[in-house]
Amino acid sequence: MNTLVWLAEHFIGMFQQGGEVFTSLVTGIVPLLIVLLTGVNALVAFIGTERIEGLGRWAARDGLIFYPIRYLIFPILSVFFLTNPMCYTMARFLPEKYKPAFYDAAVSYVHPPLGIFPHVNPGELFVWLGIATGIETLGLSVVPLAVRYLLIGMVVIFIRGVVTERITAVMWARETAKATPALA
Amino acid sequence: MKSFITNLGRNVGHVVGILYQAGRESIDQVIKNILPFMAFIALVIGIILYTGIGDWIANLIAPLAGSLVGMLIISVICGLPFLSPLLGPGAVIAQVVGTLLGSTLIASGSIPARYALPALFAINPQVGCDFIPVGLALGEAEPETVEIGVPAVLLSRMITGPIAVVLAYVASFGLYPGN
Repeated sequence: MNTLVWLAEHFIGMFQQGGEVFTSLVTGIVPLLIVLLTGVNALVAFIGTERIEGLGRWAARDGLIFYPIRYLIFPILSVFFLTNPMCYTMARFLPEKYKPAFYDAAVSYVHPPLGIFPHVNPGELFVWLGIATGIETLGLSVVPLAVRYLLIGMVVIFIRGVVTERITAVMWARETAKATPALA
Repeated sequence: MKSFITNLGRNVGHVVGILYQAGRESIDQVIKNILPFMAFIALVIGIILYTGIGDWIANLIAPLAGSLVGMLIISVICGLPFLSPLLGPGAVIAQVVGTLLGSTLIASGSIPARYALPALFAINPQVGCDFIPVGLALGEAEPETVEIGVPAVLLSRMITGPIAVVLAYVASFGLYPGN
């Protein structure tokens, strides 16, 4: 009998602990999230997503100076205004050879802004929040971490865009060579 | 004068409509996307904290998550081209591993707080690797582009995954001094 009670106590205890965690998440984060999401959603609606489409046509151009536009500014604005997963539709303004690299840059930016702009990917919030909760438990502010995550994310997506564009170009050339055997 | 009032009324109505719609969307997002995952995470954390599995996991992953080399190893494994598409969906792996790291190692202070930054990149080199064909299709890519784009992105992650960790590690100096 005692064993049974012991078992039942610990069974319930486990979920009580879970419930406490849930309460702290809901009361600690959800109110801020709701207000923040409302604010950003309204901002995006006021500005209008069609404005970044012009940027897409600009980002499509060849040349070294267009790299930061194509793999930094364009993906960041696409993610901010269209959010995951609609941001990837912006690749339609780019030539085929840049599409994989743009996708790589855009998809890599759906997590770094989560600490400050959770609206970009609310369904995957815990990529950020899981680790941030640990920082909070230590009694530290998560904002410095959020800002650095957002900034390093920018550097990383730019590198990803450039590297993936190179790899795509090499693979494309190899594929074309295979398709049209040398006329020797 | 009359048209001014009509215009004013219409514009105010428009603005209020947008704000109200924004509120409705945010509540939708919270109910549909955020709360269900919070429930799941609360269950996982509850079990970990109550049973003490947390300490056991922490001891197991501390050598990996507690050094630059260890985090590089994590990022290389998560970025392997045959693993990354499996680890990607819904970012569930990244979210669970992140929560484990956060609620055990970082919360207890067994690894320096500034390691949170490289850890965010180490657990996530596989981001979007499951979604490449769909993502490219959303961008109206041709089938040939998808055929080349999928391996191109997967290969690129092998290189850029560890680079991201190193960059974040370097950038983490001066973050949370004294912890």
